[in-house]
Amino acid sequence: MTQAVEANPYAPQVARLSRVIDETPTIKTFCFDLEQPLEFRAGQFVQLGVPGLGEAPFTPSSSPLDPAHLEVTVLKTGGVTDRLHRMAEGEVCTLRGPYGKGYPVEKLVGRDVVVVGGGVGLAPLRALIHVLLSMTDRLNKVVIKNGARESAELLFRRQYQEWASHDKVTFEMTIDNPEPGWDGHVGVVTTILDGLPGEVSVPNAYAFSCGPEVMLRFVTFTLLEKGFKPEQIYLSMNRRMSCGIGKCGRCNIGPYYLCKDGPDMCYAQIKDYPNVF
Amino acid sequence: MSKTLFFSEAGLTRLLEAVKASEVYAAVRRERGPEYCHLQKVPEAEVALREPRPSASPKAFLQPARERVAVYTNEGFDAEASCPVCEDRALVGLRACDLAAIAYLDKVFREGDFKDPFYEARRENELLISVDCVGVHENCFCTAVGGRPFAESGFDLNITPLRAGYLVDVGTDKGQAVVDQVADAASEPTGEQLKEREEARQKSVDQVEGQAGGLRVTDRIQKLLLSKQDSNELSEMATRCVECSACTFICPTCHCFYLYDQVGGEENFERIRTWDSCIMGDYSRMAGPAGAKPTPRPSLRNRCANRLLHKYAFSPQQYGMLGCTGCGRCIEACYGEIDIREVLRELSGDTSG
Repeated sequence: MTQAVEANPYAPQVARLSRVIDETPTIKTFCFDLEQPLEFRAGQFVQLGVPGLGEAPFTPSSSPLDPAHLEVTVLKTGGVTDRLHRMAEGEVCTLRGPYGKGYPVEKLVGRDVVVVGGGVGLAPLRALIHVLLSMTDRLNKVVIKNGARESAELLFRRQYQEWASHDKVTFEMTIDNPEPGWDGHVGVVTTILDGLPGEVSVPNAYAFSCGPEVMLRFVTFTLLEKGFKPEQIYLSMNRRMSCGIGKCGRCNIGPYYLCKDGPDMCYAQIKDYPNVF
Repeated sequence: MSKTLFFSEAGLTRLLEAVKASEVYAAVRRERGPEYCHLQKVPEAEVALREPRPSASPKAFLQPARERVAVYTNEGFDAEASCPVCEDRALVGLRACDLAAIAYLDKVFREGDFKDPFYEARRENELLISVDCVGVHENCFCTAVGGRPFAESGFDLNITPLRAGYLVDVGTDKGQAVVDQVADAASEPTGEQLKEREEARQKSVDQVEGQAGGLRVTDRIQKLLLSKQDSNELSEMATRCVECSACTFICPTCHCFYLYDQVGGEENFERIRTWDSCIMGDYSRMAGPAGAKPTPRPSLRNRCANRLLHKYAFSPQQYGMLGCTGCGRCIEACYGEIDIREVLRELSGDTSG
């Protein structure tokens, strides 16, 4: 990245796709081997785009501890993402960032950490999980809960076993629509939160959730019901963004710009402002 | 630094002619009323110093409605083509509300972790010459939002029209440099002239306060706004709004924009910035399948409330100042005849005005 790019925050760098991973029928992971590592904190996002078409905000799903290998996991759901999904190894994308604050990892030392993902929402949380797994000696407990519509849409399924094999880490998943032969849990993700008060020490815990807005809403209400305080709940409030740097105006919740002050927001900060969910 | 000088009518003409900038934008007399124009493009126009503020704000000179902010290819970003290029410029005839708006935009674009290099380049080489409002527009309500119809800071030069001649306040070295070029035209003001200025200013304040009908945007109104998001007053506003976005485009502080990419030439792509408006339904629309909630503010009432809240409740938290300068331009621009003063007054439960 040259000086000039740093001075012009709207200008993208270009990055060549080194690999595309088919994750689920609707989700792919785009991998970049970067000459200039893109240093980011878990939860910070990048603007990934298609040259000449436009960009969209995504939180990398790869480990912040390996900034030369950036991975962005994308659900096919609109103009930019449709085109991204048709791209192959060797093709060029635009990239800007990182932006936003990132997860408050430093707060988690000595704590119980609950991670609740839904669908492609597990993508940004994977960056957090990578960091958490690297610091389990300083954490009390990590409880990962993940939900998807159907088993084929369970993101990063190949890694669940490895995550759960770490000391202090538990993993649980559920799907809404079971197919014949599914012997796991069935139901929306909130149904596997019921046992949380026994699994973690609620007053000592922080919860992080990412998923569709309707899921975030019910996860929040469930956590509150289980005794979490709004200060203990962090939500990925990903909304439409354009500039990524707190100028263009569109991603606000109250006085906060999610691109600048989030995208993961403490529920206590936003709960009294309009149109949160 | 503030020094006051007297200029005769002819002296002031010489002073304005001494403003040598590659681009001069000025409030000029036009048939339909005063308007901000690129002065070199209408050389015959006279600078409007005694009229009310122009109906459009000077915001377009600071953040154009559409501009290219980056050029790139498949190989990378073209640093040279994406650099802001800006000649020295002067803005002449700004009203105090326009200066307040520039102070606000400065906070948005020149402060924080990321600065906007295009806005920055324009502001860096810019001379600001303001003028007292001796003419007050019927929609002006600057005193209700903490403003005054004259400026005491934020300018390089400020002009006060007198019955005969002008007082000129020098605010900066840049302003002094202009005055120095016509030093022989300047004289010390008399006590009478200074007294005339005080009286003229008070008269304008009284007029604005009179037509603002006692309205004051206070902490109380800000709290009420936050608590009354679903109130009937806002519903009423939304039923009259026709979603044209004129209020946001005419507003001197509204600065929302959208970035889009397009093919520029062969193997060359451009990133363009355009003005955008929070009143539009697809402003915050997200990607997603049909049936999914596509925008956090689906109803017009949500969007009208968000705009009001941003001006009067969120901006003080974000930038330490209101997002409204009381220029009243949105009032005459609105096709639905929404009068922001009435909305605020009704919200605060005060219908006396």
